[in-house]
Amino acid sequence: MASLLIQNGRVIDPKNGIDEVADILIQDGTIAAVGKKAGKSADKTIDADGLVVTPGLIDLHVHFREPGREDKETFETASRAALAGGITAAVAMPNVSPVADNQTVIEFIIKRARELDLINIYPTGAITRGQDGVMLAEINELKNSGAIAITDDGSDVHKEGLLKRAMEYAKTCGVLLMSHCETKDLTEDGVMHEGWVSTQLGLAGTPAISEEMAVYKNVLLAEETGARLHLMHNSASGSIRAIREAKARGSKHITAEVSVQHFALTDEECLGYNTNAKMYPPLRSQEHIDAVIEGIKDGTIDCLTTDHAPHIEPDKLKAFQDAAFGTVGLETSFAVMNTYLVKPKHISLAQGIEKMTAGPAKIIGINKGHLSVGADADIAIFDPDLEWTVDEKKFFSKGRNSAFIGKKLTGKAVYTIVGGKVKYDRGTIVS
Amino acid sequence: MDPILRRKPPSEAEEDLNAIRKGRDLSFQDLVSIGQVTSDDLVLLYEVARRFRDYKTYKFSFNKGVSQVNAFFEPSTRTSSSFDLAAKQLSMDTAGVSSNSSVQKGESYLDTIQTIDAYNVKAIIIRSKEAGVPEVAARYTQACIVNAGDGWHEHPTQALLDGLTMLDHVGGYSLKGRVVTIVGDIMHSRVFGSLVRLLRTLQAEIRIAAPLTLIPKDVERFGAKWYGDVNQALAGADVVYALRVQSERGANGFIPTLREYSKMFGISRKRLDLAKKDAILMHPGPVIRDIDVHSALAAVDEQSYILRQVENGMAVRKSLLWLLCDRADGKTKTFTRK
Repeated sequence: MASLLIQNGRVIDPKNGIDEVADILIQDGTIAAVGKKAGKSADKTIDADGLVVTPGLIDLHVHFREPGREDKETFETASRAALAGGITAAVAMPNVSPVADNQTVIEFIIKRARELDLINIYPTGAITRGQDGVMLAEINELKNSGAIAITDDGSDVHKEGLLKRAMEYAKTCGVLLMSHCETKDLTEDGVMHEGWVSTQLGLAGTPAISEEMAVYKNVLLAEETGARLHLMHNSASGSIRAIREAKARGSKHITAEVSVQHFALTDEECLGYNTNAKMYPPLRSQEHIDAVIEGIKDGTIDCLTTDHAPHIEPDKLKAFQDAAFGTVGLETSFAVMNTYLVKPKHISLAQGIEKMTAGPAKIIGINKGHLSVGADADIAIFDPDLEWTVDEKKFFSKGRNSAFIGKKLTGKAVYTIVGGKVKYDRGTIVS
Repeated sequence: MDPILRRKPPSEAEEDLNAIRKGRDLSFQDLVSIGQVTSDDLVLLYEVARRFRDYKTYKFSFNKGVSQVNAFFEPSTRTSSSFDLAAKQLSMDTAGVSSNSSVQKGESYLDTIQTIDAYNVKAIIIRSKEAGVPEVAARYTQACIVNAGDGWHEHPTQALLDGLTMLDHVGGYSLKGRVVTIVGDIMHSRVFGSLVRLLRTLQAEIRIAAPLTLIPKDVERFGAKWYGDVNQALAGADVVYALRVQSERGANGFIPTLREYSKMFGISRKRLDLAKKDAILMHPGPVIRDIDVHSALAAVDEQSYILRQVENGMAVRKSLLWLLCDRADGKTKTFTRK
């Protein structure tokens, strides 16, 4: 296999505490050397002068829509979008059709990812059969066929007794349980964050407490059962508080993510009935955003995700209350993190990279997200200063439904390397 | 009708209205939110509306040759008939689109509205059960869009007619120092959505009274003060505005029973007497007699302006349609297709 030399980039490898200008030599798909003058020559050389070289980003929350809704997205289109965003590994949510509540679907996903050979895709299985919150899926079977975690994402496991048993069972199987937190009786028909903006728009609101109560419930049950719990897409100040308290109590088996839109955009994006700003959890008001950013700064939040949720245009061209929930994010997540966390100096670039590489890798227990010698050569190279305007017509994703359309962002992937092979090269997918 | 006005030749009647209009135009070309209406717009709309009101059902030819579609995707009695008659009294041709149309066959609102727009009509009046449909539609039509009520959001022409009714009562173009008490289902009311914005423009003191289950989050940011005790809210009010408890909008479950609601918040003779002696009672209709307003007050009491509101609705809509469809400056809308 060929060798590749990345020269003169600012190498940021948070797990190994590296943040310096260095070269990286890749041989046979793995990292052979990192350092000044790591290699003299190679089959291919990338000049990364002025660029940032990081481990490939890992996104724990992606809706690939395949199988079932290939009109919205496929493994291929989402993988291409991921590459364009510097993402080399992604976790697939199980709410597809048929639901990934059985080994056949898990095996299909793994097979598709292998055939495509674009990015690393890790499937998750459902907690309950059909994700209907009634009976447990065959969790051990899911794990054995390759599911990296179980989740009913898209809906909350409402029944506390069932959720407790799911955690006990997940612990027995040694599998991570990821929770979508929403108290449906409080959400009711809510279509956006409940507050001043929803009142002005005359739209039914989803109160923050709907999420917060569910987070508290999940935390308490995880502490009771000792299960490995990962809390998905936290957006409310009370959720951050609940997780911070749990961690302060020493509950190290509980981890949490924030989707990047939830610290970047407020509910005011919904003004004008902008359905691209409709999602669950909803974009919230500034005080929640402040709390989320505080949670990222103090380590309450372990990783940043996209919750990439592509839709076809007709599903978003409806009246706001009837439009589909979700925003795409694979092609913008690094830029959003850089623009809304690093540029305003909430965190350093290295801290942001950590939450998108080593942080998520640790949560799902994969040996990725770092640039140690011998590691898989999954690498992203960013131009951290490049300013660009989000234009949905240029997306690789089938989904055009971005909450960031028209926003000016700073930072963009230039090259994305998976397993030592350059898969994305200055705007083009190499396959 | 005043027989002298009825017999007036059209040229004279129209000259009369033109003399009041003085070549003025509105600042907006679609009316999707009352927030678009400036103080100057209000003066123009009301000066013209008051004169139209004198002429009652007189047929003007101002809008002859232009058409209007009343796209009511939700049932309506007074608003749809009022818009239709107003257009006809301006010599417009009108057609109606009802809720059992292509939207129910699965066509999107936007496609339906763009189809109607391709008839080259001048005005499309939209009533939708979802918030935001008129506002979004207005971006994609050459026709003027008038919001005739969208979900829980707004009902701007209702606010316009309510404003006229209140200003007629107090005189002038301001409600400064006046107390308007709104009682009822605030949360699910598009009437409230527009009225509260207009009252703020008119500088009224706004009080709202309802159980907290019917109060939307952060509503005080509209400048309204909430009262759990309706008697306190009514004390010294100039205008008592009762809203229906709207059971068809899922308001059920927000209160235990209509009986209890009526006892706690219904406007009775005794309660109305807590307001100023000359206070007026208003209601956007339909009135659920003996629930939101005591039956004896609904239509016949001298303090009840409910039917006057309906009459003002005709005049205000006629004024709006003339000013929108027959612009003195000849300006047309910019729009795109989707």
